[in-house]
Amino acid sequence: MSHSITFTINGEITTLDIEARRSLADVIREDIGPTGTHLGCEHGVCGACTILLDGQPARACLMLAVQADNATITTIEGLADGDKMHPIQKAMHEAMSFQCAFCTPGFLMSAVALLEENPNPTTDEIREELSGNLCRCTGYQSIIDGVETAVRLMSRGES
Amino acid sequence: MAGSTQTSGLGFVGQSVKRVEDERFLIGKGQFVADVMPDGVLHAVFVRSPYPHATITSIDVSEAARHPGVARVFTGKALNEVTQPFVPLAPQPGSYTPIYHAMADEKARHIGDPVALVVAESRHIAEDAAELVVVDYDMLDGVGSIDRALATDAPQLWDRADGNTLSDATDTYGPVDEVFAAADRVVSITLDSHRQANQSMETRGTVVEVDGVTGLLTVHNTSQGPHVLKWAIAAQTVNQGRMKSLWGFVRNTSRRKAFFAAAKDFRKANKDDLKGQDNAGMKGQLKKDRSLLKYMGRMGLGLLATENFPTVTSVDIGGGFGAKGPIAREDIPVVVAAMSLGRSVQWIEDRVESLSDGGQAREERFHVDVAVNNDGTVKGLRVDALIDGGAYPAFPFGANLIGTLWKVYMPGPYHFEAFQLRSRIIATNKGRVVPYRGPWANETWMRERAIDAVAAELGMDPADLRSKNMMTQDNAPAAFITGPTIDETMSTRKTFDRALEMIDRDQLARDKADAEARNHRIGLGIASYHEAAPGPPNFADSISPGSGMLLKEDGRATIESDGRIVMYTSQVPHGQSHQTTYKQIVADEFGVAMEDVEVIWGNTDKSQFSFIGTGGSRGGPLGGGVMRATAREIRKQVDELAAEMLEADIEDVTIVDGNIHVSGTPAHGISYADVAAEAAKRASVTAGPVFDVDLKYEGVGNGGWSCATHVAIVDIDLDTGQVTIPRYLVVEDCGPIINPAIVDGQVRGGVAQGIGAVFYEKAFYDDDANLLTTTYMDYLIPTAMEIPEIEIEHLETLTEGENDFRGIGEGGMIGAPAALTNAVSDALGIQVTTQYLPPSTILELAGIITPD
Repeated sequence: MSHSITFTINGEITTLDIEARRSLADVIREDIGPTGTHLGCEHGVCGACTILLDGQPARACLMLAVQADNATITTIEGLADGDKMHPIQKAMHEAMSFQCAFCTPGFLMSAVALLEENPNPTTDEIREELSGNLCRCTGYQSIIDGVETAVRLMSRGES
Repeated sequence: MAGSTQTSGLGFVGQSVKRVEDERFLIGKGQFVADVMPDGVLHAVFVRSPYPHATITSIDVSEAARHPGVARVFTGKALNEVTQPFVPLAPQPGSYTPIYHAMADEKARHIGDPVALVVAESRHIAEDAAELVVVDYDMLDGVGSIDRALATDAPQLWDRADGNTLSDATDTYGPVDEVFAAADRVVSITLDSHRQANQSMETRGTVVEVDGVTGLLTVHNTSQGPHVLKWAIAAQTVNQGRMKSLWGFVRNTSRRKAFFAAAKDFRKANKDDLKGQDNAGMKGQLKKDRSLLKYMGRMGLGLLATENFPTVTSVDIGGGFGAKGPIAREDIPVVVAAMSLGRSVQWIEDRVESLSDGGQAREERFHVDVAVNNDGTVKGLRVDALIDGGAYPAFPFGANLIGTLWKVYMPGPYHFEAFQLRSRIIATNKGRVVPYRGPWANETWMRERAIDAVAAELGMDPADLRSKNMMTQDNAPAAFITGPTIDETMSTRKTFDRALEMIDRDQLARDKADAEARNHRIGLGIASYHEAAPGPPNFADSISPGSGMLLKEDGRATIESDGRIVMYTSQVPHGQSHQTTYKQIVADEFGVAMEDVEVIWGNTDKSQFSFIGTGGSRGGPLGGGVMRATAREIRKQVDELAAEMLEADIEDVTIVDGNIHVSGTPAHGISYADVAAEAAKRASVTAGPVFDVDLKYEGVGNGGWSCATHVAIVDIDLDTGQVTIPRYLVVEDCGPIINPAIVDGQVRGGVAQGIGAVFYEKAFYDDDANLLTTTYMDYLIPTAMEIPEIEIEHLETLTEGENDFRGIGEGGMIGAPAALTNAVSDALGIQVTTQYLPPSTILELAGIITPD
């Protein structure tokens, strides 16, 4: 049985008829189209599918799409303002944070959520906050560096 | 973004140029296999064995097939009947390498062995229908360990093998018996490493796209070696209407002539390699299984009859670490399904499948004897090694690769006078063994752990024992006793000496004392190694005579009629930043900006055949090497024509920022477009390449060794068994560095996987071979909380060679388990004999708790 849901994703209002059992991640990728949200484990551990749901980080693989009815969703595609990169994107480029980049969308969204809540985190706070996202390539140092670079960019008002 | 706009002239090579790849990744525009969704694509789900070892007595797919939305359900038997099996490549003398099909049909041999395939309109429907497939199994006893496999009453996995031993090879270098007899003493230790899983964040996957009109296939895939996949698909799906084209091929005179001409060229080009090859292994294998001849023949034809066979392609791949090198067994049935349904089919492995059948590695045991004199001079090394090979040998490379690399590497940078290795591959009811980042890495763990054990027995400091025995630039012989040449690039001693300088022993002693007061223990561990990256010219022959011909790297460079520079690579990036580094190399050669260079990768129609693709730390030395070599060749041609156009001597032609001019008169320059237009005019062409060079590259006369020393300091909390790493130092020498930030990333990533291996990650099988770790709640990938900052010091030993890049991708993982287990041994004042050290084991080793 399908259900009609409406949510705002990356600034656009979308209404869809979907099966109740489908995950939010699948609906975003398959029905709406942007594939930047990645599925790494589909059981809520790796964090690659992290999105912002009403400003809070959420695992799009663990949520049913029907639970997102009336929500406001931001995915990696919604971070930049047109051609203008979000400071976290600039910073991760500057710090050469990623390698294969499969985990990237999740880290970016978790980092955005962290910096919105705590614009000046310590290194330990960054490590702890990002420990819900797995990266197999980098050993994390370059990602931590990226977040710290973003803190500097944002404190200089380059946002 | 800023990265690609840096100007030429200063040289891009050697700078931490920002990644070109980021331009798509950071905005969510990467294109991974799961992002490929052709219109009307069907979704494939495998029904897999829930038992480690069982006879399949019947499969009933009728209910599943009737489920609404199901396109078709294939039994393993039905799929195997129309496909060729995997055959062994390069079997060892005396070995039996099983010939097996992509699907389990009569017998399931591990948890997750695929027994049926459901194809449906959606993944959900396919999963639902998979639950409706009824498989009857007769359970057999599972073989869950090497010990169980070797027991006299053990169930046998493969009928034609000798018990569960699939290969048993002994290699001897130097007078081992005499050296051992003459030594003052022999120190022995038995070391066990545990099963680990590569676990890239993107699982494996394939999307087989069928062209509605021509029926031709495009296979979007996560393969690190797409040409071998293309070959396997061509050869193994031969009954699926392809046999006709193969016979057509044989009967077609012009193609047959081309075939024999190509074969003749191949024989001529690889004369020495072919002459040197040792076919004893293959002959022995034939005695055990005559069907090999038939199947090898068909595989051979598949290799050469490439017409009408699929294009294998990828844009972005989310990591691999070796697991995506061998062919995914699943790819063959998915191709068959797509061909027989005439529809595109997608299979994306889920994480549970990945943890059971996505590739595992490193479950190995070593009985080590070190002959040593009382003054600490090491004399001889004797190792009896066992590899838990799992159920199915990976194709083309897996466990079969490990022993052959061990025999070359194992004595390491030390002056051993004699060395003997016996290595056996043992079949068990576990997942496939695949190459994992430095597939041979346990030779370093084994040797460096044994060195520390010897030091302890002699009452010496492990660093002093290393100093006494490690080759220096002055006293190194011309070659290792195992064969490969030593040159100035074998700089392990330099990395070791530098690492020692960077350790403050007095501070360490104070830290140790402070730690004891907190009920903590602090320890120091050192490990040194070298790896062939790509190794000297005789390295391949030292592994297996004649194997050099498999290892050459092809590349191609063109300048198009409009002046664009286009480079083609057989490398398959999956995180290594090939696009950035190759642009750096080529832009320097042509004197242009990086954005003026286009790099084409990930398409078998546009790259030359490669047995390996990306693996073996080849991307820098060979992949980068052939980029540079082809670019130089074309640059010469450009300079010649430009000299004519500028009416100047060729020596006076210089190119800065794409301005081709006579030195000193940049205002009167011409562009690549001008030179290309002139070349096009002379050749009377209006489109396509006007300069075009392709060549094979093997790093002959240059390249060499990549070397490093790792130092770990661990802090163990005796209340909890938790281990932290206050300092981790890598001193490495990979020669001239193309992009320091990228090299650092490779080193750190490798060390992180080594930390994971020692303290967190283990694929647990019980005695009956039931897999207990099938989610990330059980198989623990370390997070940002567990991986410390890693200090890296670069030495850059240069040589006279024209291309001197040396690989760096694997080393981090090679050194880390040794340095870490040595540090734990030092902290606890014991000799660690297992590689896996979770808190419970730490507390057992410390004598605080007793094992169950």
